[in-house]
Amino acid sequence: MTLGLDLTLIAGLLALALHVVIVRDDRNAVVAFVAFGLLLGLAWVRLYSVDVALTEAAIGGGVTGVLLLRTEALIRPASAAPTASRRSGGALAAIACVLLAGGLAIAVLSFPNPAPTLAPEAAEALGRTGLGNPVTAVLLAYRSLDTLLEKIVLIIALVGLWSLAPETLWGGAPELHPTAIPEPLVYLARVLPPFGVLIAVYEFWVGADAPGGTFQAGTILAAMYLLVLKAGLRPAPEVKRTALRVLVAGGPALFLAVGFLGFLMADGFLSFPDGAAKPLIVGIEAALTLSIAGILSLLVAGPPSKAPAP
Amino acid sequence: MSEYLTGIALLILVITGVGVFKVLRARPAVERMMAIQLLGTGGAAATLLLSAASASPAIADMSLLLVLFAAFSCSAFALGHFVPAPDTSSEAEDRR
Repeated sequence: MTLGLDLTLIAGLLALALHVVIVRDDRNAVVAFVAFGLLLGLAWVRLYSVDVALTEAAIGGGVTGVLLLRTEALIRPASAAPTASRRSGGALAAIACVLLAGGLAIAVLSFPNPAPTLAPEAAEALGRTGLGNPVTAVLLAYRSLDTLLEKIVLIIALVGLWSLAPETLWGGAPELHPTAIPEPLVYLARVLPPFGVLIAVYEFWVGADAPGGTFQAGTILAAMYLLVLKAGLRPAPEVKRTALRVLVAGGPALFLAVGFLGFLMADGFLSFPDGAAKPLIVGIEAALTLSIAGILSLLVAGPPSKAPAP
Repeated sequence: MSEYLTGIALLILVITGVGVFKVLRARPAVERMMAIQLLGTGGAAATLLLSAASASPAIADMSLLLVLFAAFSCSAFALGHFVPAPDTSSEAEDRR
């Protein structure tokens, strides 16, 4: 029965992927791509990686769709008719993708059996961190340097995006909502965010002991904020505001500060003192969740397009 | 019992999958966004059943996210720049 389930998932994923590539209209491709992201989440559930599944549903099935649609709306005039150069570029991309997928398949199939794994060590040291979810332990305790650098990369991406704004608009607010806002969208933007915020808080809190965590919670918050912005219920914030910048930089800054405290209180950079690991990790996660929510929503909102108020 | 629940999840997935492909080829372009809503609902049902079948409550959290983001993604298509009316490129594709 489970084999049938897995085969159905694979067939559905392949068919959706083909549909994304073949369909001519870009917006239909985006719709199918979002559906693909949601279905891919189910595939990760079947692979027993619920943490990855939650992230895939939030990113692939949520925020990416909005990002792609906004991009499509911006480049639509340029991509109206498929030209010859676009076609040959597509063929080249198809060949490259097939080669890459084939190479990955060969690499995965040639793994030794049983595959080399650090999972027993990770599970064994779990008691010292006080956490119950090994994925959170890897992200915020064992390999916290990687996580810290990831978050800093997000900030750099945001600064890069902001710098696309013309000189006169620097520090202004991005513009998200259209001139005419459909009534159902306003209704949804009033009804959905309370549930979304509740689910985000739950995901953040449960992340210490079960699948979930900062990135999932931050993405949910970002999506809910984007919904409110899109429906025009709140104006988009000016990016020069100090509160906004503190929010964006706060999580990584706290992470870095705790990392340096490790020199005084424990063995070195980013090491947590015994017994205090869990409260420190949960505190960092709380600040990171808010930062990720801010960064992701501002990344989707795009560069400032309104001049700042003097 | 676990086999039985997995079987129902499989049935739901198959039905949802057929529905999704039917909706993705729908004539008015706006209707296509309902494919996401359908997949969110069907996927949530399947994850809830799988969660009960494998006795792992974490999988049930997945259904929360599927429903939430299906609704969110649909709202993206309701925006002004998703102009539904004259959609020549997709009509050409339908005639294909």
